[in-house]
Amino acid sequence: MHVVIVGNGVAGTEAALAIRRRLSPQDARITLISEEHPYFFSRTALMYAYMEKMQRRDLEPYEREMYRRQKIERIQNRVVDLDADAHTITLRSGATLSYDRLLLAVGARPRMVPFEGLEKVKDGLVHFVSMQDLDHCERLTWSTEEAVVLGGGLIGVELAESFVHHGLKVSFVVREPYFWPAALAAEEGEIIGEEIRRHGIELIVDQELKTIESDEAGRVSGVGLSDGHHLPAQMLGVAIGVVPNVDWLREVKSSPELGRGIRVDRSFRTSLPDVFAAGDCAEIGADGEVPLLETIWYSAKLQGQRAAGAILGDEVSYTPPIFYNSSKFFGIEYTTVGECVGVPSGTRSLYRRHESRPITQRILFDEAQVRGFSMLGSRWDHTLLQQWVAERRPLSYVREHLHRAQFDVEFGRVDLSKFQEEERTL
Amino acid sequence: MRQKGSLGWLKHDLTHRGPTAWLLTLGLFAFYFILYYGGRTLAGVPIPDLFTPIAQALHLPSKWTFYGLLYTLAIAIGGAYVIYKYRHNRYQVIRTSVVIFVQATLAFSVPWILTIFEQPEYYFSYLWPLKMEYFYPSTILSMPLPFILFSLLGSLIMVPLLGIFFGKRWYCSWVCGCGGLANTAGEPFRHLSNKSSKAWAFEKWSIHITLFLALLTTALVIASWGVGENYPVFAEQAASLRSLYGFVVATLLSGIIGVALYPVGGTRVWCRYFCPMAAILGLVQKFGRYRIRVKDNMCISCGMCSTYCEMGIDVRAYAQRNQDFVRASCVGCGICAEVCPRGVLRLENRWRRDPQELSMDALLNETYRG
Ligand SMILES: Cc1cc2nc3c(=O)[nH]c(=O)nc-3n(C[C@H](O)[C@H](O)[C@H](O)COP(=O)(O)OP(=O)(O)OC[C@H]3O[C@@H](n4cnc5c(N)ncnc54)[C@H](O)[C@@H]3O)c2cc1C
Ligand code: SF4
Ligand code: SF4
Ligand code: SF4
Repeated sequence: MHVVIVGNGVAGTEAALAIRRRLSPQDARITLISEEHPYFFSRTALMYAYMEKMQRRDLEPYEREMYRRQKIERIQNRVVDLDADAHTITLRSGATLSYDRLLLAVGARPRMVPFEGLEKVKDGLVHFVSMQDLDHCERLTWSTEEAVVLGGGLIGVELAESFVHHGLKVSFVVREPYFWPAALAAEEGEIIGEEIRRHGIELIVDQELKTIESDEAGRVSGVGLSDGHHLPAQMLGVAIGVVPNVDWLREVKSSPELGRGIRVDRSFRTSLPDVFAAGDCAEIGADGEVPLLETIWYSAKLQGQRAAGAILGDEVSYTPPIFYNSSKFFGIEYTTVGECVGVPSGTRSLYRRHESRPITQRILFDEAQVRGFSMLGSRWDHTLLQQWVAERRPLSYVREHLHRAQFDVEFGRVDLSKFQEEERTL
Repeated sequence: MRQKGSLGWLKHDLTHRGPTAWLLTLGLFAFYFILYYGGRTLAGVPIPDLFTPIAQALHLPSKWTFYGLLYTLAIAIGGAYVIYKYRHNRYQVIRTSVVIFVQATLAFSVPWILTIFEQPEYYFSYLWPLKMEYFYPSTILSMPLPFILFSLLGSLIMVPLLGIFFGKRWYCSWVCGCGGLANTAGEPFRHLSNKSSKAWAFEKWSIHITLFLALLTTALVIASWGVGENYPVFAEQAASLRSLYGFVVATLLSGIIGVALYPVGGTRVWCRYFCPMAAILGLVQKFGRYRIRVKDNMCISCGMCSTYCEMGIDVRAYAQRNQDFVRASCVGCGICAEVCPRGVLRLENRWRRDPQELSMDALLNETYRG
C-alpha cells in the first residue's frame, strides 16, 4: 500500500508515524509531501526562532535520522493537481505520484481582507504562519523602526512580542474594546492589556485598519485607522486569523467537497474515494451537523493519529475532547478548559482575583455543575479541570478541591485563600 | 534572528560558537593550563606562574585560594544574573541563592578559615566519589575525626538517601560547585549542549566507565594501603593509577575540559559525560521519588525545554508522548519547566503521580461514561 500525505505539519507527520507503527516498510510505503520545509517543524515555535531563543534546526521535533530509520519518504514540492479516478497527484515539478490512500493535511493559511491601498503594497506586509513568513520578517526587521500589528489574537501577541524584542516601536491595533474577547472576559482582557502596555507596546483598541500607505518602492510606510489616526510603520503584521488552506483544491481535476475547509465525516473521509483529510484544513461533521473546525495543535495531532487509523481500515468516530488550551502573553500564563469561549450571556461565573498580583481564576458554572475554567497568571493541570467538567462536579466541590489542580513550581504556589472572590454574570 | 547593532552581534557571536566564543574558550584553556602547570617545566619549557604573585599581592595563601575566589565571584555574578532573569520563579530564585551561599561559605570561606586556624583545608561541599581523595586512607588519617565522619557518612548515607527523596538535584543543582558554575555563569551557553541520540548513547557509556575507574582506583588505593608493604609492585601500580586518575579525570576532564568548553560545547560537559558522582546519583534517582511530570496532551512540541536543558536531554521527546520521565543525567535544574510556554512540565518528588480516579485516555475515549 502506498500512503501519500500532503502536508508535513503535525497532522500529517503524526499520521505517518502512526501508520508506520502498525505497518512495516514492506507493507506500507509512506510519502510525505510539503512545499514549506523538508522536515516537520513546530509552527508554534516560530516566534522563538524569530527572537533567537532557538535555532531553526531546534524547531524540528524529530531527529532527521528518524525519517531514514522509519523509511518515510519526503518530497519538498507543491501539489498542484489531484485525480481521484486515476488515484494520482501531480507536483509543481511536473512529476505524478500514484497513491492507494491520500491524506490531505494541508493546514491553514493567514486570513486576509482587501484593505484600501493593498494593491500598491509590494513589501513590508507580513504574516506569521509559515517558515517563509519567518524569512520575510527576518529580512525586513533590519530596515524597520516602527511596526504595526493588526489583530487581537494569539499570533498577533507573538508577533508583537517578537517585534519588541528587536527594539521596534510597536503599535498593536485591535478591533474589539479589549484584547481577545473571543476567549477572555473583560477583566482578564484588561489585565493582559496592561501587560502588553507594560512591555512598551501601544495597544490601540476599538479601532480598525482603514488604509495601508506605501512609498514609491511599494514598501509599507504607514497605516490609517478608522478614527483618522495615522501610524507610521515600515512593517505591518497582519494576524487576523487563519482559514483552511483549500483554495487550491477548487482548481484540481477532482475536487473534494469543500465548505470552509475540506468536508470530512467523523472518520476523516472526504467525498472522494480513498482520500482523507485531517488537521487545520478539515471541517468535521456528518450531514446536518454544525461542522467543526479546530485550528489548534493538539487537535491536529489527535486528528492525524485518528485519521491514520481510518486509513488502515479501523472504525473511527472522532469527537473532540472537552476543549482545553493554554498559552502565554509575555509573562502571563493562561489555561482554559471547557466552555469559556462565546458563552451565552447570563452565564454565571465565580471570579477570583489575587490581592496584588495579576493572577485570576474564573470558574463558569450553572446550578448543576461547573462548565469551564479560565485561569490567568499561574499554572494549572488541565486534566483535572477537564475531569471535573466531565464528571459534572458542582461548584462547591471544585472550590474545595481547586488546590489539587495547581501546577505551579515548588515554592511558587499561590495561596488560594488570598483571593478576593465574587460572582459575576457574563 | 539576532538583535540589531554591534551589541546584538557580540551577544550572538558569543553564544552561537562564533569567533568570540572560540577566543573565550582558548582563553579559558590558557588560564587552566597556567593555573595547573605554572611554575613547572614541560618538555624542557618553563611555564610562567602568573597566579602565585597575584595571590600574594592579595594576601591569599596560594594560587588555589585565588582560583577559589575567582570561582566564587563567577558564581555570585552569574547567580545574580540568573536570579534577575528568573525573578518571577521562586524555585529558581531560592535554588540560585543557595548555590551562591554554599559556594561562598562551605566551598570557599570555610576551607580558607580552616587553614587560618591551622586545620587541614577541607571542603564541606564535596564528597566521594567527586572528591576521591577524601576516601583515600592517607587523607582520612590526616583528618580530624569530625571531617572523617562527614566524609564517610556524607558519601555513603546522605548522598544516596537524599538522592532517593529528591533525585540528583539536591546535590547537582543546589550544592556542587561544578554544577553551581554551570547553572549561573554558564547560563548563557545552555542551548549549546548536544541533544542527539548519539550523544545520549555516548553519555551512557562514558559516565559508567569513569564510575568504574573511580571505584577501581578507590579500591586499589585502599587495598594497597592495607597490603602495600608486602607487595611493593602492587603499591606502585596503585599509586600510578591514582595519579593517572587524578590527572585525567580531575585535572583534564573536570577542570580544563569541563569549564573551558562552556562557550562552544555548552555547560556540564564534565557533569554529563564523566562525573562519577553523577553516575551514582543518576542510578539512585531512577528508582527514587524524583520525576518530571508531563501534563497530558498539552505539549505543542515547540522545543524550548530541549533547547535549554543543559544536560542535552531531549525533554520534548517525552513531553510530546505524554510521558513522565526521569533521565539519569537530569540534574533537576528546573529550567525546562520554567521555559515551557505552556506550563507542561513540573519537577515532582512523589512516589506516584497524583492519584486520579479518571485517566486522560478514559476521558478522550469517553469510557468514563459507561
Ligand atoms: C505562530 C503560530 C503559533 C501557534 N501557536 C499555537 C499554540 O500555542 N497552541 C496551539 O494549540 N496551536 C497553535 N498554533 C496552531 C497550530 O500550529 C496549528 O493548529 C497546527 O500547526 C496545524 O497543523 P496541521 O498539520 O493541520 O497543518 P500545518 O502545520 O499548517 O501543515 C500543513 C503543511 O502543508 C503544506 N501544504 C499545504 N498545501 C500544500 C500543497 N498544495 N502542496 C504541498 N504542501 C502543501 C504547508 O506548506 C504546510 O507545511 C499556532 C500557529 C501559528 C501559525
Ligand atoms: S554531575 Fe558531578 S560535578 Fe556535576 S554537579 Fe553533579 S556532582 Fe557536581
Ligand atoms: S531535564 Fe529539565 S530539570 Fe532536568 S536537567 Fe534538563 S532542564 Fe534541568
Ligand atoms: S517547552 Fe513545553 S510545549 Fe514546548 S516542547 Fe517542551 S514541553 Fe512541549
